[in-house]
Amino acid sequence: MLRAAVLLLDGAAPDASPIRRLFRAAVLAAGIWLVSPPAAAERIEVVSAELRTAAEGDGIELDASFDFDLPWTLEDAVNGGVPLYFVIEFELYRARWYWFDERRAGATLTYRLSYSPLTRQYRLSRGTLALPFETLGAALASLRRVSRWTVFERNALVPGSRHAAQLRMRLDSTQLPRPFQMGAVTGRDWTLASEWKNVPVGPELVR
Amino acid sequence: MSSLIRYSFVAALALGGVALFLLASSASSTATFGRHYPLLLAINGAIAAILLVFVVALVARLVRRFRARRFGARLMARFAIAFALMGVLPGALIYIVSVQFLSKSIESWFDVRVDRALESGLSIGRAALEAQLADMSAKARAIALDLAEVPESMQLTALDRAREGAGIQEAMLIGASGQLIGATGVRPADWVPELPSATDLQRARTQRQLALIEGDPLATDERASVRTRVVVAIPTLGGAAAGRSAGGDSGLAEATLLPRRAESRYLQMIQRLPAAVAANAAALQLGYRDYQELSLARTGLKQIYTMTLTLTLILAVFAAMAGGILLAGSLTAPLLQVAEGTKAVAEGNYRRVREFPGNDELNELTHSFNAMTRQLSEARDAVEARSRELENARAYLERVLANLSAGVIVLDRGWRLVTANHGAGRILGLPLAAAAGRPLAELAPEFAAQVDAAFADQTLATMPNESWQRQIDLAPAEGGEATSLLARGSHLPLDDGPGFVVVFDDITQVISGQRALAWGEVARRLAHEIKNPLTPIQLAAERLQMKLEPKLARDDAAVLTRGATTIVNQVAAMKRMVDDFRHYARVPPPQLAPVDLNAFIEEVASLYGAERAAAGDAPVRLELAPALPRIAGDATQLRQLIHNLLVNAKEAAQGSPSRQPRVTLRTEAVRAADGGVQAVRMVVEDNGPGFAANILRRAFEPYVTTKPAGTGLGLPIVKKIVDEHDARIELANLGAGGAAVTVIFRRLVDGAGVAAGAATPAPAH
Repeated sequence: MLRAAVLLLDGAAPDASPIRRLFRAAVLAAGIWLVSPPAAAERIEVVSAELRTAAEGDGIELDASFDFDLPWTLEDAVNGGVPLYFVIEFELYRARWYWFDERRAGATLTYRLSYSPLTRQYRLSRGTLALPFETLGAALASLRRVSRWTVFERNALVPGSRHAAQLRMRLDSTQLPRPFQMGAVTGRDWTLASEWKNVPVGPELVR
Repeated sequence: MSSLIRYSFVAALALGGVALFLLASSASSTATFGRHYPLLLAINGAIAAILLVFVVALVARLVRRFRARRFGARLMARFAIAFALMGVLPGALIYIVSVQFLSKSIESWFDVRVDRALESGLSIGRAALEAQLADMSAKARAIALDLAEVPESMQLTALDRAREGAGIQEAMLIGASGQLIGATGVRPADWVPELPSATDLQRARTQRQLALIEGDPLATDERASVRTRVVVAIPTLGGAAAGRSAGGDSGLAEATLLPRRAESRYLQMIQRLPAAVAANAAALQLGYRDYQELSLARTGLKQIYTMTLTLTLILAVFAAMAGGILLAGSLTAPLLQVAEGTKAVAEGNYRRVREFPGNDELNELTHSFNAMTRQLSEARDAVEARSRELENARAYLERVLANLSAGVIVLDRGWRLVTANHGAGRILGLPLAAAAGRPLAELAPEFAAQVDAAFADQTLATMPNESWQRQIDLAPAEGGEATSLLARGSHLPLDDGPGFVVVFDDITQVISGQRALAWGEVARRLAHEIKNPLTPIQLAAERLQMKLEPKLARDDAAVLTRGATTIVNQVAAMKRMVDDFRHYARVPPPQLAPVDLNAFIEEVASLYGAERAAAGDAPVRLELAPALPRIAGDATQLRQLIHNLLVNAKEAAQGSPSRQPRVTLRTEAVRAADGGVQAVRMVVEDNGPGFAANILRRAFEPYVTTKPAGTGLGLPIVKKIVDEHDARIELANLGAGGAAVTVIFRRLVDGAGVAAGAATPAPAH
């Protein structure tokens, strides 16, 4: 498309004056700037996700593992003391043939990964619970695994219906300091997210 | 089109202003706009693109006009360039300065010394913590050694004492499997024992001790605050020795005293930072974090600010360009209108120019221009009307002059003809219309000489009049007769000096009429004087004859009788002549009454028909037009008129013996252009020899006759009667021999002629 535009502009008048050529270049630059796509985001991969009935009570628990590496920009940020917020989102739908799927339940888990340069400790917090880590790798390893996360109650499942569940993990960029939020603008990539991953809802869950 | 562009331009500008404001505030503050920065950026970009399209369209239009050399494009281009430059150059300057300033100032934040100071602060903090940790470790080991010698049941009390002695905040005894045995120390209200994990215990076991600096200075929770924690195993005999040797400290002497045994208990000691130090540490870490944050984001920040500034510049530049062009258009529009109007006025077109609302000087200009053209056009119209009036007046004057029967000629000082009207040419019998510029002496020498003399006399006179008047008699041309002119002359200043104007009229007819009048008077007096003695003369002669005849001899008596008879006869003839005179002189005023001319003519002609049979002379043929309107006439006088004409005609006809004498009397209606009867014409024709040329013009004067026995009063009487009837009489010779006398009666009683007749002053019937 751009090339076509260039051809169109260049083909318009071969005997163009320098001013006109300059003007054309400016137009072209503006066009490129406007249509250029944002840089590709770093990905989080959902390696595994499994729902199972809790040992006690009526809760359904989720075990999941993710695979990702922190881009160096984010690593720098963490080591500079900037906390990162990772959000794991879970959604449960009931399929309806006559209408949009019905959202039955949803759960969100927020991890806060921070580093204290004074104590040289990484901390991974989940609510009030905080775990100290000596190294970033250990903290990330802990972050990559979620186990025994109660995502919904059993009664959210409708017997006899087909259900679908999905899961994703992303870096909550809205909690980042503002200049980091404009990765798309500044050309730096601060986004980190996974696709929605389907989690099989086995019939054994519906009792 | 233009207003649409203008409105959309203003709208885009307003939108751009709002978007720019939002963009700027989002770039510089942490408000909620910050999240929408990319969107705002896109909106601003779109507005910039729209403005660009505007600018391109406007520039293209301007270039097109310029190329087409349209009127005013040059001025508009100049204005537009000036305005655009005025907008663009300061904007670009501010932009460059701002960007430089911005990147410099952002860079200046990240000073190496600041960086190092922060790092140093952290190091100091850490060093302090580590010193505290080392101190605490030593104390912990010492306490552990002390505790090792105390029975297990007494250990907690001993620990409490030792803790207070060492100045440690928290101390606890922990079992081998990590369970809490006892705790002592200053503890917060909702204290939860912070137990070491299995790995901690493992590490404490293998490394003899575990010394940790824990917590987050920024944590709000007191439990998560920065603290040093030391876990050491409480040695039991051998264990203590092992611990000591492993610790590498100075306790080698006691090692042998203690039995070697697996540690069954651990001592954990926790020392929190004092509140003031903790606050400073928090501030330090917060500052470090912010600094790092900014440091990491500085490129991005710079880009954001630069982008915002760039976008602002682009918007401002485009707005300035578009605004410049539009402003130039609106500024130059009144000027162009006025300029075009001036051009039109120069070509004589006084159309109005478009007026612009508003009361600045430029718009006022259009208003005043229109006022001016209006006044100009009014003035021109007035002048045109005036000149048209003058033209009309002159044309009217010329028409009057042309149709004047009198002759008017204008001469310059060299006696050359300047102008002459139609009448002058007719009277003088010369084609004067084409003779302008020729000397009058060349055209009409006799007339010129007399006029010259008249002007000369006027100048010689002691009291020169403004004009002169005299009668000029011109010698007859061959075959014609003498003409009398009454001429008046006066000086007439011409454009190129003095001139003369001469007005003259042909008064030959007037003189002839005067002569006839004079004759009438003479005849009347003579008749009166002559008639009085005639009767006594006749009576005396008859008396002489009666008295003397018987007394005289036959011869003498015969002489007397002859003489007396002669006297009586001559007296009778004289009486008749005198009567004729009297008739001529004293034709009484006609008693006008409606007369059917045809019937009247038939009646009169019947007399001649009877006479004809007796005398065998010329027959009178009547050709009478039917349905003639009646005329107003005096029957007696009309009879006399017809009688005289018929007698004349018959005599004339008999005068040509070569032909069969013939007299025709014809009547016909004279019709006007609209078809109505205007007059009645009566023509008497004969086939005699016709009028002699010298007679023809003076036939109506008394005593002009060709007949041996005529009195010469027949036609004068006819003329008089005709005049009394307000009719006209014409004499003409016919081409084939013979003469025609035409009488035209204009006074009609009925029909369309009544109106014509009423126009002339006629006595009532």
